[in-house]
Amino acid sequence: MQRPIIEAAGADAGARIKKPVKSRFIGMLKHMRRDRQLLLLFIPCILFFVIFRYGPLYGLVIAFKDYSVFQGVWGSDWVGLKHFAKFFGNREFWLLFRNTVLLGSYTLIFGFPFPILLAVLLNEVRLQWFKKSVQTFSYLPAFLSVVIISSMIIDFLSPTNGVINQFLALLGFEKKYFLIDPDWFRPIYVISEIWATAGYQAIIYLAAIAGINPSLYEAAKVDGASRFQMIKSITLPGLMPTLLVMFILNTGSMFRIGYEKVLLLYNPMTYDVADVFSTYVYRKGLLESSYSYAAAVGMFESAVALVMLLAANFLSKRIGGGGLW
Amino acid sequence: MVGERRLSLFNVVNSILLIGVALSTLYPVWYITVISFSDTVSVLQGNVFLRPRGFNVEAYAEVLKDAKIPRAYLNTVYYTALGTFFNLLFTAVAAYPLAQRGFFGRRFWMVAIVLTMFLNAGIIPTYMIVQELGLIDTVWALVLPNAIWTFELIILKSFYENMSSQIREAAMIDGASEYRILFSIIIPLSKPALASIGLFYFMGHWNSFFLPLIYLNDKEMFPLQIVLRDMLIFNSESDAALVDRAALAPQAMKNATIVLSMIPVLMVYPFAQKYFAKGVMLGSVKG
Repeated sequence: MQRPIIEAAGADAGARIKKPVKSRFIGMLKHMRRDRQLLLLFIPCILFFVIFRYGPLYGLVIAFKDYSVFQGVWGSDWVGLKHFAKFFGNREFWLLFRNTVLLGSYTLIFGFPFPILLAVLLNEVRLQWFKKSVQTFSYLPAFLSVVIISSMIIDFLSPTNGVINQFLALLGFEKKYFLIDPDWFRPIYVISEIWATAGYQAIIYLAAIAGINPSLYEAAKVDGASRFQMIKSITLPGLMPTLLVMFILNTGSMFRIGYEKVLLLYNPMTYDVADVFSTYVYRKGLLESSYSYAAAVGMFESAVALVMLLAANFLSKRIGGGGLW
Repeated sequence: MVGERRLSLFNVVNSILLIGVALSTLYPVWYITVISFSDTVSVLQGNVFLRPRGFNVEAYAEVLKDAKIPRAYLNTVYYTALGTFFNLLFTAVAAYPLAQRGFFGRRFWMVAIVLTMFLNAGIIPTYMIVQELGLIDTVWALVLPNAIWTFELIILKSFYENMSSQIREAAMIDGASEYRILFSIIIPLSKPALASIGLFYFMGHWNSFFLPLIYLNDKEMFPLQIVLRDMLIFNSESDAALVDRAALAPQAMKNATIVLSMIPVLMVYPFAQKYFAKGVMLGSVKG
């Protein structure tokens, strides 16, 4: 729809001016003049994206410099890949890498099916009020802050009077201080992540299920299909496109571990299993003020995330499922 | 009939599973509330589970008497109100031109905006920009760097696109300017959509923890989430003093603060359901 307007304006101007480049330029000016009120409204948006979205991308040059506050971003000395070399050569790199990959993949592998299962089960409920209330309660955690969720985890797992430990004691087990046990960090992280997000994500799948043609179910019922057969042959295939999009998005953010929860839950006893790239960036950059080094680590993290997203998108298209674009 | 029985067995198992899900999300919130109303001894003995024991509101009285928490509460209210207002204003004003078909450079703007969803510079360069603009320790550090959420912008843009273009044309024939059309016609007509994205902005500000953590150093400016974090997770000196003076089980006071912090959220929760689900779904459609 944009084209005809430009061309109309261009043709109008072209009658007098021969050069097509110039006429197109004048057409552009006319277009801008016509849209001047809209453009004026649009200025805050441009400023926002330039300053706070593209500005930081430009600011990434400090990853290749030795940033000093006095010399500023531009005046600081270039050091090439020094920070990257230091990071990759660091013993901590492999630790962070392992932790990030493990936390990310566990969350994806165990966390991904849950909302789908929840949506399918909810869809099988005939009593509307029951379905509605369960669904509403299930996304309650989406309204709680990460601080509150973390404090609930800490309280529930408390070795002295936490609910979980009291329950264990009741069953005759020993009480356990879960949060200082490195073996328990990952399960705690993943389970609480599922608890916090499953209900929220189920909304998306429920909407997709609602979009499936009901006559498919009716036809299946006439043919004598069981509930399980209908779930397997109608509901799940109907969910496929949504499922793939969600899978691509989740893969893209797989290595972006929510540093907030890790920051709130880890402690010196569990650093070795809990420290991930994002918490490392926070500590190095903002607590120790090694801006350049931390920016390099952050850049590496973002690049990996982007590659993962593109790869998942490519694979999804390859198997014929369509991608994000 | 065999078929009927199998069907009902499925229903029973399904209902049990779903009740389990609902309980697992409800119980923690209920438990915290119950603890906050219970007396110290019962909490320490660990025999509070389903109902408050030794019902009292002392923990709440202590929390309200404390200097830090009410101030943090007001800070959070202020940041949330201001932040959500600017979010909605920026998003609405940005979405309107983008929704007009012939808008100058529309394709370019859209590509440039969507691209930022995939290119992420990370926290350090963003922090440096906020620092360079002199926003550290001001409320604007919490408002401006996330004034527009790309996702919500695209949602609102699609909503505007689906509104009838005749409204705008009619208003233009009547000589209304774009500003007038936006503020007197489009925005009032898009209240449901604004409520939906506003809910997400509201939740984002109310629960925000990391931004104030990195951008605010002034203790007077701390929002509730930071104070909560200090109370709950770290035994800072101030925290120890707080507990000593309170001479309460720290649990009760902690949880009283959590309950107070959840009140606004739980108040919008039932009303917001419709908008919340709609917002999530709109987002998912746009992928």
